[in-house]
Amino acid sequence: MSAIRSCLIVALVFTLGSLAQNALPAWQGQQGRPGAQSAIVADADKGRDLFQANCSGCHGIDAGGGDGPDIQQAPASLGDANVANIIRKGVPGTPMVGFFSIGDAGAADIVAYIRKLGSTITSETTKGDPKKGEEIYKSSGCPACHMIAGQGGEIGPELTSIGAKRGPTNLHQRLIDPGVNLPKEGNVGDRGKWTLYLLYRAVTNDGRIVEGIRMGEDSFSIVLKDVNGNFHALYKPNLRSLEKEPSKSLMPSFKDTLSSAQMDDLVAYLVSLKGATP
Amino acid sequence: MKATKFFLLLLLFCLCGPSGSSAQDAPYMRLLHSDSEPQNWFMYGGDYQSKRFSFLKQITPQNVANLRPAWIYQRSRPGEMIEDSPVVVDGIMYIVEPPSTVTALDARTGLAIWSWTPALPRVVKVDGYHATSRGVAVLDDMVYVGTIDCHLVALDRITGAVRWSVTLGDNKINYGLTAAPMAIDGKIIIGPSGSEDGVRGFIDAYDAKTGKRLWRLYTVPNPGEPGSETWGGGQILGGAAWNKGSYDPELNLIYWGTGNPAPDYNGDGRPGDDLYTCSLLAINPDTGKVKWYFQYTPHDTHDWDGTQVPVLFNATLDGKPRKLLSVANRNGFYYVLDRVTGEFVTGVPFVKETYAKGLDAKARPIVLPNTDPGLEPVLVYPSNNGGVDWVSPAYNPLSKTFFVNAREMGAYFAKSKLPDKPLVVGTGMVMGGRGNSYLSGDDSYGAIRALDVTTGKRKWEFKMQAPSWVAPLATASNLLFSADDEGDFFALDSNTGKVLWHFRTGGSFISSDTRSSPITYEVDGKQYVEAADGDTFIAFALP
Repeated sequence: MSAIRSCLIVALVFTLGSLAQNALPAWQGQQGRPGAQSAIVADADKGRDLFQANCSGCHGIDAGGGDGPDIQQAPASLGDANVANIIRKGVPGTPMVGFFSIGDAGAADIVAYIRKLGSTITSETTKGDPKKGEEIYKSSGCPACHMIAGQGGEIGPELTSIGAKRGPTNLHQRLIDPGVNLPKEGNVGDRGKWTLYLLYRAVTNDGRIVEGIRMGEDSFSIVLKDVNGNFHALYKPNLRSLEKEPSKSLMPSFKDTLSSAQMDDLVAYLVSLKGATP
Repeated sequence: MKATKFFLLLLLFCLCGPSGSSAQDAPYMRLLHSDSEPQNWFMYGGDYQSKRFSFLKQITPQNVANLRPAWIYQRSRPGEMIEDSPVVVDGIMYIVEPPSTVTALDARTGLAIWSWTPALPRVVKVDGYHATSRGVAVLDDMVYVGTIDCHLVALDRITGAVRWSVTLGDNKINYGLTAAPMAIDGKIIIGPSGSEDGVRGFIDAYDAKTGKRLWRLYTVPNPGEPGSETWGGGQILGGAAWNKGSYDPELNLIYWGTGNPAPDYNGDGRPGDDLYTCSLLAINPDTGKVKWYFQYTPHDTHDWDGTQVPVLFNATLDGKPRKLLSVANRNGFYYVLDRVTGEFVTGVPFVKETYAKGLDAKARPIVLPNTDPGLEPVLVYPSNNGGVDWVSPAYNPLSKTFFVNAREMGAYFAKSKLPDKPLVVGTGMVMGGRGNSYLSGDDSYGAIRALDVTTGKRKWEFKMQAPSWVAPLATASNLLFSADDEGDFFALDSNTGKVLWHFRTGGSFISSDTRSSPITYEVDGKQYVEAADGDTFIAFALP
C-alpha cells in the first residue's frame, strides 16, 4: 500500500484529534504500538530505528547535531518526559515538527536511544566565549546581512534563534565553507528536504544575468534574491539557462579572516542565540 | 437542509437539468459505449480500458491558453487529502470528499445538489493508507462508494439516499476502502486496503441491485492452498487489491492489481515469490476465478504494490493483431502483456532503476546485488513510492502514446528484526523496516513521460520540479493535462510535450493534501476540465 507519509498523518491525527469531541472520527493510523499508553517499557533498539528514520536527518546519526541542534544530552538536562513531549508535539517556531504518530511508546523508545547515545558519546561542546563572539560578529560585518532580534540586514538568514536550530559543528562549518552542505528543510513524506540558500545563476533570453538565492521555485517559475536583497521573479521558458551553483554562497568564508580562537568565540555566540523572534 | 428547499432544488434539477431522471440513469450499455458519449466521464479511468482519454475537441492546443476557472467547489468538511477522480453523467458530477462523503454537483456551476456522509465509528483505523477515496462508480440509477470503514454503499443517484450497504471487512483489523468501485453489467467490484497490518487481500463482486455478494477472490492463499508453497512456510499476509482494475467485455475478463506482502521491507519470514502479491490478476467477473496471473515483483521487499491501473489496447505486432495491456509499475518497469493469455511481450525501465538490470525472458526482474533492505540502509531507485505509485496513466489511442507521471527519486531501505511470534493481524503496522528515507527535494524530480505504447520507448518528457501525484489526462485534440507538485495545473501538447498553458491553483497538489486525477466533460456545449487542488475542486473552461 502507499508508503508511510507520517507527517501528513500526524497533521491529520493532530487536527482531528482535537475535533474528535465533536463526533468526527479519529484516524487511528500509524500510531505506534497499540496499548502502549500504560506501563511503557522503553526499548532503545526500537528507538534506534525510529531515530534513524525520523530524527537523524536533522540531528545527525549520533544525535550530535546537524541542521538541527545537538540533542545527546537533552534527556539528561530536560528529563525523559519533556523530551518525549517535544518529540510528539514539536517546538513551535522552529523546524522541529511534532511526530504525533510515533506514539507515547515510540517517543519513549527514541528518548531511551538518545540517552544511550548521550552516555556513550562525548557531547559536542562550545569552546569559545560568547561575549567576545558577539564583538567579532559585529566587527566582521555580519549584521549587514543577518538580522538578530529585529536588528540587522535582510540578505542572509535570520539568526535570532540559530542556536536552537543548528549545532556548533554545523555553524563552524558554515563560517568556513558557507556554500557546502547547505541545510535542508521540509520533512513531509517524500516531499521536502529542499536545499536552503541555494545559489542560482540565470541568464534570460535577452542576455540579462541574475545571480541569487532561491526563494521559491516550481516547474515554471523561480524567484531569486540577489546580493542587494532584490527579488527577481523569473519565468523559466524565458530563460536561456538556469544553473545551480551548489558550492557557492553570497556569504564570504571566514576561514582566512578569523583565527581559530575567534572562530570558536563566534560559534559560541551563535550557539547562545536561542531567543524567540520579537 | 430544510425539506421545502430540498424539494425546490430537486424540482429545479428535474426541470432545468439536461433531461428527466430516467434519461440520467447510466445503464451498462452506456458505460460500455462510453466513447460514443464523450460529454460524460462515466467511471474512474474514463472507460473500461482506463485510457483517461477524451474525444472532446473544443479545447485545443490553439485556444487552451484561454482556459480559466469556471467554478470552484470548496470541500465541505476537513479531512485527509483529496484523491478523487470525479464521475460525470448528464451534467451531474459525483465527487468524494475525504474520507467518504459523496456529493453530487451541477457540473456547469459547481453547485451542490445533494451530499451523503456515512456515520463512521469514532475511531477509524487507516494504517498505511490515507483516509480518503478515489471516487465513485455509477450504474443505472445508483452511485456506489467504498467507505473508509470498509462498507460498500449504493446511493440513489437522484436523492443520495442509501439503497443498500454491505460490510466487506473489519476496520478494527485495518480493512478500509479507498478505491473507486468498478461497475459492470449487474455487478459492483472492489477490493480493500490494509496490507500494512497484514490483512489478507481480496476482491469482491456484489449484485448491483441488492448488494448480495456474488464471489470473493482472496489474493493470497491459505496455508496448504495452491500458491502457499511460494511463501516458504512463512506467514501469508498482505496482497490487498486496493486500487481499481480494467475490464474487457469481449474477453469477459477484469484485470486487477494486487498489493505488497507483509511485512513490507523484511522478507526473511516469507521466502519465495509470495504469490499473488505485487501481481496482475485476470479474473472472470462471473465466477471470480483467475484465468491467468502475472507477477511484477516476486518476493517484494520495497513496498512496490502492483496495484497500478492497467491500460487495455490493441496493436499489431509482427503482423498479427494482438489484444494487449500495459502497466507502468511501481518497481520502475513498463510492461506490455497479452491480455488474452498473460504472455509477457515487453518490459523496459521508465525511470532510473537500480533494483534490477532488466527483466529476463519470463519477465522476472534480474535483481542486482545489495538492493534488498539490509540492517544497514541501502540506496535503491526507485523509492518505495515507486517509478509511479497508484496514480493512473493516460493513453491516446490515436497517437498510440502512453503517458505516465514518473517519479525520479531514490530512497534508503532498511529492514528491522522480525518479532519472534507470528503476527496477530490488525494489531499494528508490520513494516519490518523502512523505505521512507528519501532522496527528495533537490535530489529528485518528476516528469510526464510519453511512451510508445507497444515498446515503452520514450517519445518526450516534461520535467517537473518534484515528483507529482497527479494523473495525466489526454484528449483527441492532442492535449495532455496534469499538474506538478507545487500547485500548477497545466496543459501540454501531447505530441511534443511543449507547455501550452498553466494555472497556479494557489496550493500545492500534495502539500495541500491533494492527489487528484483530472477529468474532462461537456455540458450545454461547453467543455470543462476538472482538477482538484488543496481543499478545492476546480473546473476550467474557455470564456
